[in-house]
Amino acid sequence: MIISRISRILAGYENLSLLYAVLVIAGIVIGFTSIPGIVYHGDDLYPKTIDRSSALDPYDRGGEPFGNTSVAAQYPENSPYLGYVTAYLTPFSQFLADTTSHLGTTIVSHPGGIIDEILYNTRGLDTVVETSILFTAFAIASFLFRRREG
Amino acid sequence: MFDLPIEGAQLMALEFGDIVDYFSVYTGTLFVFALLFTVLAIVSLPEKPMDIVFGGDAYYTKDIPLDLLRFQRFMAIACGLATLGAMASGDIFNFTLFSSMIGITNIGIVAAVRNRHVLEAAFQYGIVAMVATVPLFGGAAIVLASTGTLSIWALAGAAAVPLLAKIFLVLGVMGEGMAPFYIGKAEITRAPGAPYVLMIHVSSLLLFLRVVEIVLTV
Repeated sequence: MIISRISRILAGYENLSLLYAVLVIAGIVIGFTSIPGIVYHGDDLYPKTIDRSSALDPYDRGGEPFGNTSVAAQYPENSPYLGYVTAYLTPFSQFLADTTSHLGTTIVSHPGGIIDEILYNTRGLDTVVETSILFTAFAIASFLFRRREG
Repeated sequence: MFDLPIEGAQLMALEFGDIVDYFSVYTGTLFVFALLFTVLAIVSLPEKPMDIVFGGDAYYTKDIPLDLLRFQRFMAIACGLATLGAMASGDIFNFTLFSSMIGITNIGIVAAVRNRHVLEAAFQYGIVAMVATVPLFGGAAIVLASTGTLSIWALAGAAAVPLLAKIFLVLGVMGEGMAPFYIGKAEITRAPGAPYVLMIHVSSLLLFLRVVEIVLTV
């Protein structure tokens, strides 16, 4: 009896989000038991300090471009030029950073805003995959949008 | 890591900075499967679905427009590449990124099909895949906060990852790949366009096998 009722619920794809919500709630309830055991690991691999007075806030990681800034990395032997391009700004971005105090808010909207060692060098594959996800989403949206014309 | 029973011997390691991909016997096998199906999606010609009228001799073939077919093939290949990445990834956050890419390409494969039934199932799937990014990336965030690293090499065998993070990772992959919710898949794969549509099945199955390996390793 109960099995046939459950299988009837599972057979309808309209119940998919409901089923997933039930699973997530069950997972959270079970996972709650492990919360007291979770301790914040202060010695983080990718440390970040926020300097509110900097023009690059909150992206300022300090350092000197084309110098030898020490940057934390899990496998420094895989990144021979680690610390070389930290905080490099293109001349235009340097101009913006010198004249305004809001470059940190526009950092992603213009090219060469800041080259972050961690984002682009040690974890570069993540950056590539993130952009690919966006590209895939745009490809789907543009295909569906343009198809309406024909 | 490679002394764990699930992994088998180490075959190869690929370094991308802090992200070091690895091929053990287990993940190497999954990678070869994903590669095989990606090559199949590239080289094979699409099916020509044929409907036979019940109780008579009449039959008719469904016509799939060429642009839709090309788009489906593009999405199937993208899905295959994302699966290849997820199979080899040696980093938790990188793995979650590839998982969400698999989720979005799965929607893309069926998104342009003009069939109300398929689109309704794909819509439900899309909602779950979207919501599933919260536990997926939340799991990776808890791993980084509680252990200070994301590399599977560093985490392997240490049992330092909390149970909540593991549950979140599995839940996230369940939502992205739909591994246990086969009813949503069964409705979706009514869409014409095999073998591209079958990529949805292959990618989610391989993704689920991979997350089992990760949860047992870290």
